[in-house]
Amino acid sequence: MTATAPAEAAPLLEVSGITKRYPGVLAVDDVTVSLGSGEIVGLVGKNGAGKSTLIKIIAGAERADEGHLQLNSEPLDLHRPHDATVAGLAFVHQDLQDVGDLSVAENVMMGLGYPRRLGLFVDWAELRRQAAESIARLEAEIDPRQLVGKLSVAQQRLVMIARGLAQQARLLVLDEPSASLTDEEIEHLFAVVRRLRDDGITVVYVSHRLEEIFELTERVIVMRNGQLVADEPTSSLDRGSLITHITGHEHAQTAAERRASRGVGGRPETDVVLEVDGVSADTGVHDCSFDVRKGEILGVGGLMGSGRTEMVRAVFGADHRREGTVQVHGQEIKDNHPSGSMSAGLALLPEDRKTQGNIMDFSVRSNITLASLDRHRVRPKAPVPSPRSEKQAADRRIDRLSIATPHDRQLVRLLSGGNQQKVVIAKWLEQGADVLIFDEPTIGVDVDGKEEIYDIMEELAAEGKAVVFISSEFSELVGVCHRVLVLHEGRIVGELEGDAVSEPAIVEICYSQH
Amino acid sequence: MAEKNTVPAPPGSPKPGSGSSRSNFDLLGFISTYGVFITLVACIVIFSVLDSDFIEIDNLRTQLGLAAPLLMLSLGLTVVLAMGDFDLSIAGTLSACAAAIVVLIVNHDWPWGLAVLVGVAFGLGIGAINGLLVSYVEMPSFITTLATFLILLGVEYMISDGRNITGAADMPDLYRDLGIGKPEPFTEFTSPVWIAAGLAIILWLLMSKTELGRYMYAIGGNPEAARLSGINVKALRALGFVIVGFVAVIAAVSQTARTASSIPRVGISLLLSAYAAAFLGAAASRQGLFNVPGTVLGVIFLQAVQSGLTILGYDRDILDISRGSILVLAMLLTALGARRR
Repeated sequence: MTATAPAEAAPLLEVSGITKRYPGVLAVDDVTVSLGSGEIVGLVGKNGAGKSTLIKIIAGAERADEGHLQLNSEPLDLHRPHDATVAGLAFVHQDLQDVGDLSVAENVMMGLGYPRRLGLFVDWAELRRQAAESIARLEAEIDPRQLVGKLSVAQQRLVMIARGLAQQARLLVLDEPSASLTDEEIEHLFAVVRRLRDDGITVVYVSHRLEEIFELTERVIVMRNGQLVADEPTSSLDRGSLITHITGHEHAQTAAERRASRGVGGRPETDVVLEVDGVSADTGVHDCSFDVRKGEILGVGGLMGSGRTEMVRAVFGADHRREGTVQVHGQEIKDNHPSGSMSAGLALLPEDRKTQGNIMDFSVRSNITLASLDRHRVRPKAPVPSPRSEKQAADRRIDRLSIATPHDRQLVRLLSGGNQQKVVIAKWLEQGADVLIFDEPTIGVDVDGKEEIYDIMEELAAEGKAVVFISSEFSELVGVCHRVLVLHEGRIVGELEGDAVSEPAIVEICYSQH
Repeated sequence: MAEKNTVPAPPGSPKPGSGSSRSNFDLLGFISTYGVFITLVACIVIFSVLDSDFIEIDNLRTQLGLAAPLLMLSLGLTVVLAMGDFDLSIAGTLSACAAAIVVLIVNHDWPWGLAVLVGVAFGLGIGAINGLLVSYVEMPSFITTLATFLILLGVEYMISDGRNITGAADMPDLYRDLGIGKPEPFTEFTSPVWIAAGLAIILWLLMSKTELGRYMYAIGGNPEAARLSGINVKALRALGFVIVGFVAVIAAVSQTARTASSIPRVGISLLLSAYAAAFLGAAASRQGLFNVPGTVLGVIFLQAVQSGLTILGYDRDILDISRGSILVLAMLLTALGARRR
């Protein structure tokens, strides 16, 4: 009874030899890891590396084939998600699982049993009080009576974290929590995470954004092909070594280095392909004018809500263009809708590939040929698609873009995020547009996948296409673009070209607007 | 980003368990894929054993003749359902057109061709109105077509006064032939069977072989992605309702020509069966999509059960319970299959 182990040596959660097989895939391969109380652990890996499966097993949503879990040295047997909740494990998923039509208070307290009067009627005042308590711990200004559907994405994430706190969670898993958050909101999220850590809560932070991993976490767990390949203090890693762990090969390059090594300079001296003049739309786009040349990659940057997506949607005619003209090869596009823009040679690869880019229940083949079916006819005059011609086209694109799919008849729903994005790209390459607008093509795509998408854009430019590239990660724009437009409140407020393109310069323009 | 576990492992990575699970016959998977076929075959076998009249060629002829209007309606519905819309007004269009055509021919001595033409114009008009409201004004299809359905029932009542209108003597033989004639040289079945078969083939070609059909399924899968791919979503959705209106008139002609009468609200009894058939058909398809062959199968299924139980002497109550149960069973099998995917 003399020397007891220090408290921090007793891990909160121990994962031992967890293995999970799906037909044909070893999703999680003998993973052993332990999580201590009150630490912030980063979990990184490519899409398909096994992160989500591991999280699902800890959440009780999937059963492991082998291995076991221990919580506070007691065996933890999870049969369903509710068991994990009871054990004090809380999960905030990337796609928010809140109920938009219910109030903040109802969402926070969901699954805990609402407080009641007379054993029957919900005690709303008490419900709001309890919810407000959890929200207060996050230092967030959110009215418990507000409908969740009216909140911003950042606020909705906080509501989900508050739910975890209300459940007395000891472990909180955040899956890509910074997606679609502004920089300020991310700072607040980080502050929240650190405060929870100080309260003794363990936070597992899953992200593809490595800057965030370095800024926030104390330890990093890296998964690759279902295996745990690294478990190290964050301070012992740098960007290069972390990327090496993630990808399994040397791959360290900053955006500026990429720009220099690829020789990305100013815009080429070629003909103007796309000319946009004074475009305004009711979606908050005001008097935008710019042009793009043949072989040029034009970046569009700006903070969240600056109107980047809205601007290109108005240019493409996805939203109604109230004023202004759009010309492709000097010809004005008169039809103010997508099919008109397409026949003029304009293509928009929308921001959300699931809801706007792909038909998820269509095959890879049918998605690739969807925008160009009239070029895959059995006879030129007969509007009947030729399966053979379609298959040839699909196979060619699958090969060219290295889309990881067993065959061209696979449903797009079953592909990983990066490959779904490549199918959207393939559709527009097949359509043969001269101007391709990529709206956030790398969201949710892992390091290797991102690099492949940059390569595709560069190849397209080299072939003489005009490319417009929208990204909320400024480093991406720096690594790839000849020229960058910066937007603020639906207006173009800055333009950088050639050597002037750098991350600090873009950030400077963004923040000098306030 | 969620890892998708169904993506096969890259070459060279271990593939445990693939040997043992492959060799086991996947019974549940088989049942969920072919459940509707299996149940249909089982029904036919059981009915045939219990009463040999069931598989007589005469019964087959009669049953197909009876099923033809239902098949036509179900086929029309398949088109709108594939695009993610509902059309309840189809039963109203059928009823109102049936009444109008019979009244024009029997009470007003119109030439039958002209009466049919008026009916077709009426059906196309109703379809266009539905399409306009749903597709261009962007009203929800379920409630919109429920409203037009109610209006059409009222219109039918105005035309027919709520009475049966019969007039076998006043109907030209040529018109009756559209319902009971056996066109040369295809004398095996009556005209409605051939018309329904023709319609099935045309719509099958449209839905599964043409660009238009591909676009329609794309709209059903994701209307916004379809629109951004340059597909004219509004026009195609509206076209779906126009097709339904047209099909309803064809069904009205077949029905009235066969019975030489218009029976008030004749469409209502068909409406639910038509939806049941289309959903059975979707349940029979691998991906759960509404499709023409599936719908044909669904109609045959429902008619086989009805015929079999009638021959065995069961009443209406048992018939309805059986049809409802079959639908639940088919959906159950599909849901089990989907859970495994």
